[in-house]
Amino acid sequence: MTLQELYTEIGGDYSEVRGRLPSDKFIQKFVLKFLDDKSYDLLISSLEQGNSEEAFRAAHTIKGMCQNLGFNTLLASSAELTEALRSGLTPEAGPLCERVKEDYGRTVTAIRSFQEGMST
Amino acid sequence: MSSSNRQTILIVDDSEMNRSILVDMLEGEYEMLEAGDGLQAVGLLQNHSTEIALMLLDIVMPNMDGFGVLEVMNRRHWIESVPVVMISAESNTSRIDQAYEMGITDFISRPFDAQIVHRRVKNTLLLYAKQKDLEALVAEQIYEKQQSSALMVDILSHIVEFRNGESGLHVLHVRTLTELLLRRLVQKTDQYHISKDNIAAMSMASALHDIGKISIDEKILNKPGKLTAEEFAVMKTHSLIGAQMLESLNMYHAEKVVKMAYDICRWHHERYDGRGYPDGLKGDEIPISAQTVALADVYDALTSKRVYKPPFTHEKAVEMIVNGECGTFNPLLLSCLEDISGDIAREMEPKEFEGPSQAELSDMIQNLSQHKELSASSRTLQLLEHERMKYSFFAAMSKEVQFEYTILPSMVSLNSWGAKWLGVDEIIMEPFENKNLMGLLDEQDWQTIMEMLEDTSPEHPYVTYECRLRHNDKWRWFRFIMQTVWEGEEPPQMTGCIGKAVDIHDMRTNLESLERMASYDGLTDLLNLNSARKQIEARMKAHPDSNYALAFFDLDHFKDANNTYGHAFGNHVLAHVAELLRQNVRGMDIAARVGGDEFIIFLEYQQELEAVIRRIYRSISGGDFQGFTVSMSMGVATTEMVEPVFTDLLKAADQALYAVKQSGRGRFQFYDGTLQSLKPTRGNYADQSLSPIESKEDGKAES
Repeated sequence: MTLQELYTEIGGDYSEVRGRLPSDKFIQKFVLKFLDDKSYDLLISSLEQGNSEEAFRAAHTIKGMCQNLGFNTLLASSAELTEALRSGLTPEAGPLCERVKEDYGRTVTAIRSFQEGMST
Repeated sequence: MSSSNRQTILIVDDSEMNRSILVDMLEGEYEMLEAGDGLQAVGLLQNHSTEIALMLLDIVMPNMDGFGVLEVMNRRHWIESVPVVMISAESNTSRIDQAYEMGITDFISRPFDAQIVHRRVKNTLLLYAKQKDLEALVAEQIYEKQQSSALMVDILSHIVEFRNGESGLHVLHVRTLTELLLRRLVQKTDQYHISKDNIAAMSMASALHDIGKISIDEKILNKPGKLTAEEFAVMKTHSLIGAQMLESLNMYHAEKVVKMAYDICRWHHERYDGRGYPDGLKGDEIPISAQTVALADVYDALTSKRVYKPPFTHEKAVEMIVNGECGTFNPLLLSCLEDISGDIAREMEPKEFEGPSQAELSDMIQNLSQHKELSASSRTLQLLEHERMKYSFFAAMSKEVQFEYTILPSMVSLNSWGAKWLGVDEIIMEPFENKNLMGLLDEQDWQTIMEMLEDTSPEHPYVTYECRLRHNDKWRWFRFIMQTVWEGEEPPQMTGCIGKAVDIHDMRTNLESLERMASYDGLTDLLNLNSARKQIEARMKAHPDSNYALAFFDLDHFKDANNTYGHAFGNHVLAHVAELLRQNVRGMDIAARVGGDEFIIFLEYQQELEAVIRRIYRSISGGDFQGFTVSMSMGVATTEMVEPVFTDLLKAADQALYAVKQSGRGRFQFYDGTLQSLKPTRGNYADQSLSPIESKEDGKAES
């Protein structure tokens, strides 16, 4: 899988990202780094514990990373979740979190198979 | 380029990935420091504020967010030397406005664009480098030329110009032209008695001609269209106001420049034909300085671009003035203008002159006007940094804990040695919530310290307090020396305090053992008379209504023991008696060795005193110590019979003891007030209570 294909798979505009970030290598490095980021785990655990402040910051961080990496689908859902959590736990947060879970899962799965494709 | 020459950028973002992206983008050109939240950022700023050339700051972060960091930077004045570029996905414009209000230089929004990040960072650094250089330049200029008013005049007049929205060159042009005209004038005539010095002073003073405009409403001053009659009337007041401003400089009335500036300010809108303002002076009633400046002013107005007109050429301007299209002037000055016409264009060219260039000066003024106070030049900061380094080195050597506390934000910062030694963080936000910090002192001590600090004033800001401080689970004595910090006036507000804590444990422990040595008798380890007296007096003072007794005793035939068995044996006897005494008095009682073989016991009693005394007497007297029979004679005085005054009690007890000795020793007797008549006092204890041994010795010789 190429980076271009990966971006199509997860709903991102590769040419836009390529225009902003210095090189393919640069993009690849940080796309793979996305797998190591703990913000998603923090988001889920904070929501389970009802810690809306921490959850807001985690969602905000995911949103920021997606913005930088051009993961537009996950960006959209995490941005909405961020707003829903900005002033505490709102009723919309639940369903929005489900969407983030779904988008995150798809993004991570796609990056993993991209990673496997690299090593073979 | 060596790495030490590279500028350092502090990246503050809670997302490790976002920091890495920025680091990767900027790597190779800059040194990088990273902070994962606002608190870490403040810590790094605290220790590296002069090294950090730029800070990239995220808004949403745990512990302390970006606004918190900006607040601290404002309070600590770091914002003046460290430019901040905010990075955030924040699209809320009011938050962005707020960030600009708090002094950020620029904003980078997500998603990051490598080119933009590069450009913003570089531009901000360039801008600040230039500003720092200019600040240094201004500081240096002002310092070096303090004696010369030229720069100050330039600055003052430029401030007016900037307010005026003019180019900044106007003042310079008027000044140059005034000088040219005057030089030509003195060549043509000496009727105005203008010396060379006067030309210089008049030219300098010319720069101030419009200083009165500072009081004119900006709306009128910078109105693009034609002024209404009313607005023009306001505008016209500037000449008189300028003159009044200079007149109010009482201290400088004698200054030639100020005097000339007064004339120029007041009368540079008068006309040779008497139709000018404010006074309608005519012809040479108008000082020649003001006449010249008026001409120069008009010339420069004509040749400069204005909102309402293009600039006229030099030739056209001269022609218009000479033809009387712009008011009437002294014919002599008009001929001067024509004479120098060829020189004007060349002289007016922007040129190098000693000191800062015109453009630089403009920048300086703009910088100055942006800063409420002249911020410290980078050299000053370096000097400060050097001092700080020196002090923290010495502090570490002397084992001092140094600290600073600010009320807003509530924060304690400690020197690195102190923080490490105490095992706490160098920067502690909300210190009163911090268990580690609060655990260092006893709660009562914290409270006392806070109360003492609250009781300070700007006039008396110092507090010294000694208490124990916990270190590695042991308490050590420390002396706190603090000074509260006040800001503002009427009334000044306490903003925090600075201070240090010095380890005085060893000193204090030594002192305590010295005190002990001074209070106790070396042989018997009982109190000595002096200390006993202090304690007894304190006890009686604290509870004056209680009943007290003082027993005074000595050993019978002690001299014989000394003579028979030697002095060393005598000492053993005394130590033995002291030990018996210690065992048989109550904790509250005070036992002391007066000297020689004399002892006292001081005790408080309710009733049945005699039984208590008997018990004590019997526990000591009558026993055997290595073949020596311990026997004693004792006199007892009570506060029921004697005033509760130590010397009186001792004197009375001594008299009772004397009576016992007279009547055959080996018993005790109470002072009953009748003994005085039996025998005069042997020692005068009222005066010599601290050296009763000698006097007693006399008595003993008789017995």
